[in-house]
Amino acid sequence: MSDLHDADDDRDLFDRLRAADPTTHLPDADPTRVDRLLEDVMSQTSTETTDTPTRNPLTWLVAAAAVVLIAVAGSLMFLGDDRVEPAPTAAEAPTVTELSLSGDGAGRCMVPSPDVLGGAAYGVDAEVIAVEGGTATLEPTQWYAGEETDRVEVAAGSADLAALIGAPRFEVGQRYLVAANDDGRVMVCGFSGPYTQDLADLYAEAFGS
Amino acid sequence: MVDEAGFEALVREQLLEPLRRYLARRTDPATADDVLADTLLVCWRRREELPEPALPWAYGVARHCLANAARSVRRQQRVAGRVATVDPPVEHPPQPGARDDALHDALARLGPDDAELLRLWAWEQLTPGEIATVLDVSPNAVSIRLTRARAKLREELGKVEAAAGHEEPGGGGR
Repeated sequence: MSDLHDADDDRDLFDRLRAADPTTHLPDADPTRVDRLLEDVMSQTSTETTDTPTRNPLTWLVAAAAVVLIAVAGSLMFLGDDRVEPAPTAAEAPTVTELSLSGDGAGRCMVPSPDVLGGAAYGVDAEVIAVEGGTATLEPTQWYAGEETDRVEVAAGSADLAALIGAPRFEVGQRYLVAANDDGRVMVCGFSGPYTQDLADLYAEAFGS
Repeated sequence: MVDEAGFEALVREQLLEPLRRYLARRTDPATADDVLADTLLVCWRRREELPEPALPWAYGVARHCLANAARSVRRQQRVAGRVATVDPPVEHPPQPGARDDALHDALARLGPDDAELLRLWAWEQLTPGEIATVLDVSPNAVSIRLTRARAKLREELGKVEAAAGHEEPGGGGR
């Protein structure tokens, strides 16, 4: 086959594909929505300052959606795998939700109520797969609230701090129910803890699943 | 330093419509909306690294965000107890008017990589160099794979149309 013949074939294929473009009659974007979208996007104040795939320690301060997005940006480092696979492959970095235990505002514990719990930005049933250097890594089995990620990391700090604020002590192999606010702070004082039927019932009631 | 005005201008003039279209071609409107927002957010956070031109790189981000969204849907389906399908998601939403069924079937028989390559070539109309940026491979690899993908599509089209010819005696598929 001559090159010219191939070029004609390519042109035909190109035209045929273009004719099948589903957005031929795509309506214009609503200008008001575009304005709002841009406003929302640019109101996010933190910037990626590092290019490393390791997590930026400030990420747990960032609002809900952005926490997962930082992980997505980190995983862009692995774009060498150009396949969009149906299942996550080893070559792609797992998405992570980063939470933390914070010492402030602990005060008195109230009886955990489903109403309060229902307002949590994150709720997850997960098992601890590693504890290292004050951070517990959990593998989620069910999400009640919040963007689903492959992993959850809780910066647990010291055991003393954990005990003081009524936080669960994370042990490898144990299953937990963890809820957190949209700033990534785990809800302690009975809202999060080792998995029990009672706590699971509370989560089910709170998140309406 | 990329300031807000600069970023907004870039998005409005160069990125928004193409990204919107890219996503509308590949997923349902609700997911497309969400992923568009995710994509622009990543572009905003990484605005100091935005290359010139930014669009091919932004397509790469959209592609990744779309993959994450698709994984999330499948995970939700598993959690809800429904069986996750093995088939790739619907390639494009149903369009009004006559549909090129043969092409649709033939494309479905190609792997997802080849199909995406052909879409970037024909729908986004990117050059091999630009496609290379989107997929983060070399332009050379793109050229080679694109030639192979086109050949495969022609081959599958031939098979699909031949089968249609057998099923409808005396008539073509269209």
